Amino acid sequence: MTEPNGILLDVQDLRTSFKAKRGMVRAVDGVSFAVRKGETVALVGESGCGKSVTALSLARLVPQPPGVYEGGRILYEGRDVLRMDEAALRELRGKEISYVFQEPGESLNPVFRVGYQIGEAIRLHRANVNVRDEVIRLMNLVGLPEPERRMDAYPNELSGGMQQRAMIAMALACSPNLLIADEPTTALDVTIQAQIMELLGSLQKQLGMAVLLITHNLGLVADVAHWINVMYAGRIVESGPTEDVLTHPKHPYTIGLLEAVPRLEGTAGRLKGIDGTVPNPAQLPSGCKFHPRCGKCQAICREKEPAFEEAGPSHSVKCHLWRS
Amino acid sequence: MNRANNLVEAIDVRVYYGTKRRPLRAVDGVSLTIARGESVGLVGESGCGKSTLGRAILRLEPLNSGTILYEGTDVAKLAGAGLKDFRRKAQMIFQDPFGSLNPRMSVGHALEEVLLVHGERSAETRQARAAELFRAVGLDPAYLRRYPHEFSGGQRQRIGIARALAVKPSLLVADEPVSALDVSVQVQILNLMKDLKQAMSLSYLFIAHDLAVVRYVSDRIVVMYLGKVVESAPSSALYVRAAHPYTEALLSAVPDVGRGLKARKGKHKRIVLSGDIPSATQVIPGCPFHPRCHRAKAKCSTELPALRDVAAGRKSACHFAEEVLL
Repeated sequence: MTEPNGILLDVQDLRTSFKAKRGMVRAVDGVSFAVRKGETVALVGESGCGKSVTALSLARLVPQPPGVYEGGRILYEGRDVLRMDEAALRELRGKEISYVFQEPGESLNPVFRVGYQIGEAIRLHRANVNVRDEVIRLMNLVGLPEPERRMDAYPNELSGGMQQRAMIAMALACSPNLLIADEPTTALDVTIQAQIMELLGSLQKQLGMAVLLITHNLGLVADVAHWINVMYAGRIVESGPTEDVLTHPKHPYTIGLLEAVPRLEGTAGRLKGIDGTVPNPAQLPSGCKFHPRCGKCQAICREKEPAFEEAGPSHSVKCHLWRS
Repeated sequence: MNRANNLVEAIDVRVYYGTKRRPLRAVDGVSLTIARGESVGLVGESGCGKSTLGRAILRLEPLNSGTILYEGTDVAKLAGAGLKDFRRKAQMIFQDPFGSLNPRMSVGHALEEVLLVHGERSAETRQARAAELFRAVGLDPAYLRRYPHEFSGGQRQRIGIARALAVKPSLLVADEPVSALDVSVQVQILNLMKDLKQAMSLSYLFIAHDLAVVRYVSDRIVVMYLGKVVESAPSSALYVRAAHPYTEALLSAVPDVGRGLKARKGKHKRIVLSGDIPSATQVIPGCPFHPRCHRAKAKCSTELPALRDVAAGRKSACHFAEEVLL
């Protein structure tokens, strides 16, 4: 593992909301984290925790309206994405920051050939390159067999795994510095999931790009991420180096998530998990947002929202009771 | 095994689609039994035929050949009252509960309809039974008047389970019931299914692509590849050691926190299968798995291995199963 160097992306106190009938709904409420060059950072949480809205905010892709960036800064190489003009954003999107989404079948346009779609960003951002050669190079890079033939295929002619490889080729077209992968393998079989994760890992090493990996499965990030941020109800509740967070989790939510991952070892008795469901961002509970589902909940948890405290070397947690 | 104890017995079942000249062999000669009160996990990648087999067992797909016995009776020969009784006793739970609930019907109404179809005349009894079912799956009966869109994914899956249980079945075929759910909700549904199995002495055919998930609800695991069973073993043995290279690869692909941490230190090497599962229209000489197999030898590309006994209660369709088991 190479030692990561300078900070590429610095998110500070990001607040992204949505206008609703009954006022503003804060999907992301004061999220801060950093991604260093060439590093893999995981953003872990369940549906509705705000992880995808955070991801989309990074290249200002949340549609406005209904979305509103209410506050904070997103510094990409020192420049604030939230203050960029359209021209600067166009340069940023696809070229500096690119995305891979969960459903490759829905992200690909069904009426255009795969090769054409992979070449789109090249035509937009790069002058003086042979688009066809570049597309073939990218398809080889992501392990799409027989690129000369397959570039003329339509998305429906590819399997789910192949479609996701095509999406990754598209995302890599302009050698981005940051690849944001939002649940890239959730819709795929476990075997194909392993292939895609291996591909992302090897591409990252080869190309030296940073990866922000968004997932609900802690098992998926254990071997690839340098850093883990756990999100709940629009906030980061725990953050630290991967090994530290996975072996000494401090937040009850992180502990619950870890216990909920089905394992291959140990007794196959009852799985422990977390009771209840993720709260609706429009009706968040008082105090600590996790308290209604927390087994350790005390009076203070209902009254006061905990601060994000240092609980170890570069390991922080948002819980009143992390010491106990 | 005592034959009278078998709830389901599938014998050499074949389900083909496509044309006669170029058939797609979705299920290609599968035999499987589910004992009373047993829970069988059916595992494989998309396109391996696991869902088709599940549907065939429920007589939702016509067979090209083979027999499915339910409590010793050939289900293909059922008609009239006998068929209706089978439809009551064998139920299905789907992956996407939203897609299987009528958006214009309150969930209480949907539950009551099942009871009405199966002969419950009294509206009062139907309502009481619907409330009872809701409590059994951990939902508040006050929600019976709500519509499907008002529920979360996990709640909808609970409703799907309640609907299946409404008619007191003995067999539940669950097709990827938790793969669309978040991890914490997945656990809740798996635990619920486990509790219900005991409380109502149900048998399950639990279909999934993730071996770690089926482990918590299955007594026995059957692994399918390209329409054929490649391994069958008691859960307790399979997770200790696989007897087929495909099972090995499936086990290795599961994202596991403990192994991931070991892999960081270079102490664990993952087997990553290359390529996709081939199309079931293709005819692959020898073992159908050999083009993707990490243990393939010369023999594998010429000779089709039979599914054979390799250890107590374990079957494998690999020429070198003994080596895999070592």
